[in-house]
Amino acid sequence: MMKKFLASLLVAVMTAAIFTGCNKEKKEEFVVGFDAEYPPYGYMDEKGEYTGFDLELAEEVCKLNGWTLKKQPIVWENKDNELNSGSIDCIWNGFTINGREKDYTWSVPYVDNSQVIVVKADAGIATYADLAGKIVGVQAASAALDVLSDEKAQKALADTFKELNQFADYNTAFLELEAGSLDAVAMDIGVAQYQINSRGGDKFVILEEHLNAEQYGIGFKKGNTELCEKVEKALTTLKENGKFDELAKKYGLEDMVCFGK
Amino acid sequence: MSLFTIISLMSEGMYRTVGIFVLTLLFSLPLGLIVCFGRMSKNFIIRTITKIYISILRGTPLMLQLMVVYFGPYYLFKMSIGEWRYPAIIVAFAINYAAYFAEIYRSGIEAIPKGQYEAAGLLGYNKIQTFVKIILPQVVKIILPSVTNEVITLVKDTSLAYTLSYLEMFALAKQIAAAQTTMVPFVVAGVFYYIFNLLVSVTMEQFEKKINYFK
Repeated sequence: MMKKFLASLLVAVMTAAIFTGCNKEKKEEFVVGFDAEYPPYGYMDEKGEYTGFDLELAEEVCKLNGWTLKKQPIVWENKDNELNSGSIDCIWNGFTINGREKDYTWSVPYVDNSQVIVVKADAGIATYADLAGKIVGVQAASAALDVLSDEKAQKALADTFKELNQFADYNTAFLELEAGSLDAVAMDIGVAQYQINSRGGDKFVILEEHLNAEQYGIGFKKGNTELCEKVEKALTTLKENGKFDELAKKYGLEDMVCFGK
Repeated sequence: MSLFTIISLMSEGMYRTVGIFVLTLLFSLPLGLIVCFGRMSKNFIIRTITKIYISILRGTPLMLQLMVVYFGPYYLFKMSIGEWRYPAIIVAFAINYAAYFAEIYRSGIEAIPKGQYEAAGLLGYNKIQTFVKIILPQVVKIILPSVTNEVITLVKDTSLAYTLSYLEMFALAKQIAAAQTTMVPFVVAGVFYYIFNLLVSVTMEQFEKKINYFK
């Protein structure tokens, strides 16, 4: 019995090897890994198709290079596994460079971003000093978490909180904020604006102080400069023919894009 | 997004959920029997190996097993795993559920009194005939409620496939919820799972009635 089982296991492994072997001969596929719960950069639209600023940009880059774009939604905590193992070619999804400079091969930055804190409009929290003793939420494995746990950044501020809770997605975070189990949530400004607008626009506010200033880039596997350069070149073309700014405007990010500046 | 769109999008995800469910049962039910025989084998080595297999597969989280099966080939052998995502999900689910099924089968087989084997031997049945014609029909009857339990758990466990970024129904619900900033998809997901499990338990109940041949 055991022999049979081992034999079938071996067959399964070999089949997998054959599959992966074939893969390399197909037309060049550009697999973009993204968190599908991250509007306006990557999310599901009304028709159930993946869209967003980053994904439309990736689509244009593929058109220029003659690649087929494969949009691969990933679980954010597993992004490094997905990238290192080659199941995705890059992480392109409002991906913060700062603090991760050495971990990936980065494209030039294309969006100026900052981490901000969102609170309920009627919570009476206006400055960071008001956050002392409060419970603050932050997405697991996010840039906001890095900023709040870095000694050189906002660790001192985070130490004044009663608790720093990590959550998996923004939907539950906002529900907790609304229900009062969280007093504030730290996140990217672009995401914050989208979330607040789609929730009525007046229930939540962004605190005026920003946690940091940072930039988004496209993250490639460390050492994959060849692919990175190809994408950058296509982006330059898109900037020159106006397509880049057109897309930025479509997603309300025209004040934040910084590519080619 | 209208409720209708949400439901029709999630039905597509349901299709994938059912896919995992069916394939897992297809592979794990027979594999479980093989493991069960290994577990009851007189050969010390085979018995120990299957014991370790069951102990590991039952003793670690399915979520972790999914990640090991999917990312393992890369980290161990530096293989490219681009097309491995879906097979990995099925393999992980099948080997995990086989471990549980093996123990359920064993409980059924060991519940049959030894005297029946002896009687069958006296009547001239060989080992295979004894098992297939006498033991197995009784075993099926004994284990069916436990199997139903496990199958229902499987329906809900399919949502773990999201760990490997596979878009089954629950992953889809989460994405729609994020983009539309609403909780409606989760309610829909609950209803979907419930209906699915209702179908499973009703089917199993019918089956149980049908094989109630000793009453």
